[in-house]
Amino acid sequence: MNKLIAIWMLFGLALPAWAGDEVKLEDIKLDTSMAAVERGADTLMNVCHGCHSLKYVRYRDLLTAGIDKKKVDTWRGDQALDTAMTGLLPDDTAMQMYGKIPPDLSLMTKAREGGTNYVYSYLIGYYITAEGAASNHVFPATRMPDMLGISGATDAAQRSEIQHKAQDVVSFLAWASDPHEEERRRLGFYVIAYLFVLTALLYVVKKQIWSRLKK
Amino acid sequence: MSNKIIQWIDHRFPLTSFVKHELTAYPTPRNLSYWWNFGFLAGFVLVLQVVTGIFLAMHYKADIAMSFDSIQHIMRDVNYGWLLRFMHSTGASAFFLVIYIHMSRTLYYGSYRAPRELMWWTGQGLLLLLMATAFMGYLLPWGQMSYWGATVITNLFRATPFIGDQVVVWLRGDYTVGDATLTRFFALHYLFPFLIIGGVMVHLVALHTVKSSNPSGIDLADKDNIPFHPYFTSKDFYGLGIFLIVYCTFVFFFPNSLIEPANNIPANPMQTPNHIVPEWYFLPFYAILRSVPNLVGGVVAMGLSVMVFSFMPYLDRSQIPGGAHFRPWYRVMFYLFVVDMLVLGYIGYIPPTDSSIIVGQAATLVYFTLFILLPYISRREEQWLIRRGLPPEVQALIVSETREISKYPKRRRRGDTT
Repeated sequence: MNKLIAIWMLFGLALPAWAGDEVKLEDIKLDTSMAAVERGADTLMNVCHGCHSLKYVRYRDLLTAGIDKKKVDTWRGDQALDTAMTGLLPDDTAMQMYGKIPPDLSLMTKAREGGTNYVYSYLIGYYITAEGAASNHVFPATRMPDMLGISGATDAAQRSEIQHKAQDVVSFLAWASDPHEEERRRLGFYVIAYLFVLTALLYVVKKQIWSRLKK
Repeated sequence: MSNKIIQWIDHRFPLTSFVKHELTAYPTPRNLSYWWNFGFLAGFVLVLQVVTGIFLAMHYKADIAMSFDSIQHIMRDVNYGWLLRFMHSTGASAFFLVIYIHMSRTLYYGSYRAPRELMWWTGQGLLLLLMATAFMGYLLPWGQMSYWGATVITNLFRATPFIGDQVVVWLRGDYTVGDATLTRFFALHYLFPFLIIGGVMVHLVALHTVKSSNPSGIDLADKDNIPFHPYFTSKDFYGLGIFLIVYCTFVFFFPNSLIEPANNIPANPMQTPNHIVPEWYFLPFYAILRSVPNLVGGVVAMGLSVMVFSFMPYLDRSQIPGGAHFRPWYRVMFYLFVVDMLVLGYIGYIPPTDSSIIVGQAATLVYFTLFILLPYISRREEQWLIRRGLPPEVQALIVSETREISKYPKRRRRGDTT
């Protein structure tokens, strides 16, 4: 047994060597409240939706989630409620401007290693290099400009405001990637509670039946 | 009234005698531990996968232009589609977890030994079918990992002698993984579970011929066998409750932990993901594949690593009952094997580096060495145990059970037909 432990400890020592030189992501506590999701939607519609689509989300889904109807009506304009939130930037214009088509954001927080932490760290990961160009700690090859303006923000209050904005955008994207999550968790508590009671009863039944056996 | 109906049926079909023989009077060793619950659990997960799978197939579209979207349609628009999908994706992992525990129990207690070789071999066949089904099912969401996983694995068939390239094209239905691959994988992913059900029937008929093994490893006399129902039905259902708590915790609270982030990006043949990694249940075998620098060698090593279990009835030369329970050397080998599997799993998960490749090769060597040394070690261990004497309580059990069986030969459970 001691040998086993020793082997595992040796193994543990070797782990950090393999962890590689990945960037350390910020650790955020995701605010899943509808207020945060709605604030995130505001920012996203003003700042991101010009280029990025959310093709699996329909305007009606925003209403169902509880976002103010007036806002949704403004965002969709004369499009029907069941229209998907496709991007406003034509593909060839995007290719001319950025050399690539901006990725769809419907599943963004699920589609990256690190999830919501990754997206948040990316959004606030912009900085000005010594040569005076903007770059990103998390994704240096990014073609997206620093839309929230974190690289130019110097005083603490301004930075904190941008960080809050980024958190809200992430809250919205997390909702968009898994709109039934809250329902799933709510139902999950009932299911698990039910299973605990059921399993306890099954245990009693088993005990009772086996007690009939002679030793 | 119901009596009359049953009589009517019994006249034409052996309903009552079947239920009696296979359930209410089916003799089961009373000393089975909870490790013997996992066969029943595997059957339960199989049903769960078939049922959720059929409902998913009603909404899924096997077409490379539509399949990724149809999964999102299921996740977002279909009523409780998210539940069906997460039950099915979590169910795949649950299936392998249950089967691996079921196999570990068989290895630990030596249940593969005579007269249960056919149970072990049908089980091996079922494992292969399960692996094939899981692999093909993984292509269906048409995500990046689906696409590249299928590309890498079908490409391994290039190792087939003489006709390698043709075999790969034949499997894919095209020169690359594409629409033809997706539609055939979908068709086969729907078919294979029914082959598995057929295999399970054979597995069960074999079980009911040789009866369950038990922790003591010796055939128990009649007095130590109890009817399956109600004793083991109640025990199995209690175990099912525990299983469902674990399973539902994943389904409702951590379903995405079992889905690779890259699989939430639609398949893109022009862009390879940074790191192609299979599902956790294939990782140890994947690590063995990667440990051999040559394609053919790697494929042969990986195939052998799965198929080598079949030889266990011949590799294990010891007649000492109870498997690892009463065999200290074999027990060490068993735990070494489990640790080795975990090391291989970890090595299969991380991107290969110089040091990880060496660890992987060492673990691969340990894996096969354990099987190769088993005939020698098991025979030496048997001699040593006979010289040293079995523990007194085992000796006493063997004596008392043998006396019981010779005293009441008619009540022996093997070949029991009443």
